[in-house]
Amino acid sequence: MKNWFITFSILCVWISVVKLDAQTKQIVSTKKFNITGLARGNFYADRLNQSSGIIDSVTIPKLNSGHILSDLAFSIRPSKSMEVLAMARIRNDYGGFWGSGVTFDIRQMYVKGVIGGIVRYQLGDINDRMTKYTLWNQDQEFLQTTPTIFKQQFDVLNYDHFYNFNNSWRQQGAATEFALVFKKFIKEIQFHGVATRVKASDNVANNDRIFSGVNMQLIQSKFFSFGLNYAGLSDIDGTSKNKELFRNPVLTGNASFNWDNAKWEIFAQTEFGKSKTFILNNEIVPSKNGKFWEVEGAIKQKKTGIRIAGVIKRIDSEFLSPGAQTKRVHFQQLPIAYNRIGNEQVIRPLTIIDLMRESSLCNMQLQAYLMDFSPKYDNITPYGDATPNRQGSIIKSDWVSKNKNWVVKAEQLNLQEVRGEGTTLPRKFNRTSASLSYTNNKISEKWAKRIHVGISYRMDQTKREGTEFYRGVDLSTNVMGVGAEIEVLRNIDVIFGYQEVKYSGFDYTAKRDEYAFIYNFSEYEVDGNETMVAAGLRYRFGEKSFLSAQWNKFDVSDKLIGTSNYKVNQFMLLYQMSF
Amino acid sequence: MIPKQIILGSTLALLVFAGCKMDKEFDGPDLKDLYGKFTVVQDLDISNRSVDFSLNQTTFFTAAFSKNVQWNLQIKGLTSGAVKQISGFSSELIAENALWNGTTTSLPMFRIEDCAVQLTFENEVDTLRDTLSVIGNRIYQGLLLSDFENGFPTGWTKFVQSGADMSFVVQENANAAQGNKYYDMGGKVDWDYLIGMFDIPASLYGAPRFNLNSNPEVVFFNSFIYKPDSIDNSIILFQFREDDNEDGTYSSNEDMYSFEYRPTENGWKQLSLNYADLQTLVNGAPVAAIGNGIHEPNKLLKVSLLFLANPTSGYSQSYIDYMIFTENAPLNP
Repeated sequence: MKNWFITFSILCVWISVVKLDAQTKQIVSTKKFNITGLARGNFYADRLNQSSGIIDSVTIPKLNSGHILSDLAFSIRPSKSMEVLAMARIRNDYGGFWGSGVTFDIRQMYVKGVIGGIVRYQLGDINDRMTKYTLWNQDQEFLQTTPTIFKQQFDVLNYDHFYNFNNSWRQQGAATEFALVFKKFIKEIQFHGVATRVKASDNVANNDRIFSGVNMQLIQSKFFSFGLNYAGLSDIDGTSKNKELFRNPVLTGNASFNWDNAKWEIFAQTEFGKSKTFILNNEIVPSKNGKFWEVEGAIKQKKTGIRIAGVIKRIDSEFLSPGAQTKRVHFQQLPIAYNRIGNEQVIRPLTIIDLMRESSLCNMQLQAYLMDFSPKYDNITPYGDATPNRQGSIIKSDWVSKNKNWVVKAEQLNLQEVRGEGTTLPRKFNRTSASLSYTNNKISEKWAKRIHVGISYRMDQTKREGTEFYRGVDLSTNVMGVGAEIEVLRNIDVIFGYQEVKYSGFDYTAKRDEYAFIYNFSEYEVDGNETMVAAGLRYRFGEKSFLSAQWNKFDVSDKLIGTSNYKVNQFMLLYQMSF
Repeated sequence: MIPKQIILGSTLALLVFAGCKMDKEFDGPDLKDLYGKFTVVQDLDISNRSVDFSLNQTTFFTAAFSKNVQWNLQIKGLTSGAVKQISGFSSELIAENALWNGTTTSLPMFRIEDCAVQLTFENEVDTLRDTLSVIGNRIYQGLLLSDFENGFPTGWTKFVQSGADMSFVVQENANAAQGNKYYDMGGKVDWDYLIGMFDIPASLYGAPRFNLNSNPEVVFFNSFIYKPDSIDNSIILFQFREDDNEDGTYSSNEDMYSFEYRPTENGWKQLSLNYADLQTLVNGAPVAAIGNGIHEPNKLLKVSLLFLANPTSGYSQSYIDYMIFTENAPLNP
């Protein structure tokens, strides 16, 4: 204890300045009151066409829906070091009269400020992220490569569910951070802590569940930094009658290295750590202990703009980190639009058009265990970078032209399971992806218009040899996207997009019990493709406002399930303004 | 300057990592077991086809299959109808998982008889069959009160009401839970709960009190009780009288522990009572002990069995067989 005191005293003397980080300074604004927000109006007109050859006399083929809404955020700053924000959402679904379709919700509310000019805090709604293995809201399937015309609908979904561009999770709780600046040897140490309530107690069988995270980032210089991270999900004893308490502490360390000269840039980073998952007061359920490590190195030639990176990683089968592995999409949910189709009213499986626009599929809470996923869409990284039971290497390269017009990216991923499922033989995963885009805000002096075109392709393969006793695994997914935005008149763009997802093959999917232990496998066979073609016009009122009208034709065909062959023609009108 | 060392190092690391290290175990059930084709690789065999359990002999079964499978081995006595079930999930039957020491799963107990052996598999149509002979029965350790093979024991005192259709007799037929005989208690008494009873004095077993361990936790009283199909009103009350003051007699201020048993399932069932669990009962309800309140099996003076039924419920009947005290564990028939 005495030694700790002496060490702490020396540390205090050594520290010459305590400062707030840059973000903290931004809180302090001269305006005492302001209003921000977003207004949106959208309308969908869908028509279902089934190609089964038999007239479907049960399903209503046309669906119209839409709404207009306004998010109004009132920000009050009683003092220079304090801010209160409350955002209300007023929404009216088309067809509601005299207020019957109107909803009024509080969308966001927080209080934040600075204590003593040193410690920054925030209470209420918090957007927080840490590292890719501790707290990271990974993108949903296809978001990264989908053409802009489809991204407009993704963006609506993501905005509504707080899926932010920085991959943060929207939580409710408290966060605090501060930084220490040093004279010598170390530039800065940043501290960050967060505690949020993930699940509320029902006073009977479910306890309050709390996520807590602590991050310490030591920035030695512009060359080197080092961090320690803790993320834990735990039930609070005494908040219900249930004495079995979920526990999942995740501890990681990370480091990064940067160096450059006139010709080269070198970057390296690593993260490593472990997790333990157990149920306190339950001696039957065994605990899970998993480790992981990932090392990435990259080099860029400044002259050509070519960057090459290599990643090697290993994530144990039992590594569990809910903050990083929770998915945005509930794949066990069913879409609301055309929920059942055909004369037999069979349940319509989830498709890419649903991923793009179905609000009912979205998950906003950290889930204790691995969620369901769709192997035909992503069998390799269903839980993002922190997908458990993966090891291998990734080679990435990209090139950005000097004028930034051209961007070319390519990635080769070779992974395999750390631990086999149902056999000691591992599945082997192979992903090849490439994308090319051209953006020019001024095509020529004569035609000062904006153009953006892009094409992307992704090819996934999962393989495992079979034996005389069970089938081999061979599942492939091909995803292609082509998009274009061409400004034809001032601020008026013609937009076009095409996306195809093709999948075929066989795999065994794991069935897990309530504690995520595999107890069985089911045979999973697919052979089909889904395509979306869309064209439309967009008028840009400014950087933050636009009106978009688009026609979208979605076509799904499945060679194995006859009832899954159908088309949906969609007309969408979207107006959006941020202020 | 090109940082060659870093490029070389990174490339080397990637190449080295190409040989990924795998876990030796795997998650979930074996795919081979779930989806593999089932075949019998090695037929059913029996290590000892004429087994004498009285000499502590055992026999085990062997077989091998193409995959792990849920199997069930049934040994059925062709005379007694006794059944022994052994089940498991494995790809082979060996001594460790298919050993038989002469015990039974459902009563009656095996006799000296021929047995049919049948091996079946969950979700598979295959059935393997064989036979063996039991040439000597198991010998059970404990204080045997009676197995009724020599009739109603001399020295036991019996009282039977003068009701209708009274049958407090030893029966001999193949229905016995053990051996060939059992005690049949039956009758109709429409003025009293008591139909009949018998007392078993300790003095018949070579000592003033039953020669039992003083620790009630390790003493078990066992018997087999039979409920006929159409009889639902039987009440069997066991009474255990202790000689607390060791004067050789039982008086009303000494402990008498009881257990009331109402058969609910048809056929023979085993009843095993831990002496420490016995209570003092009045009209079937627990009350405070009437003696020193200490369970003292070594001071047990007399065991009584009262066969009862509600007088308005009509004819009642039960059989009893193989009454035995065991130590450390209930009887494993």
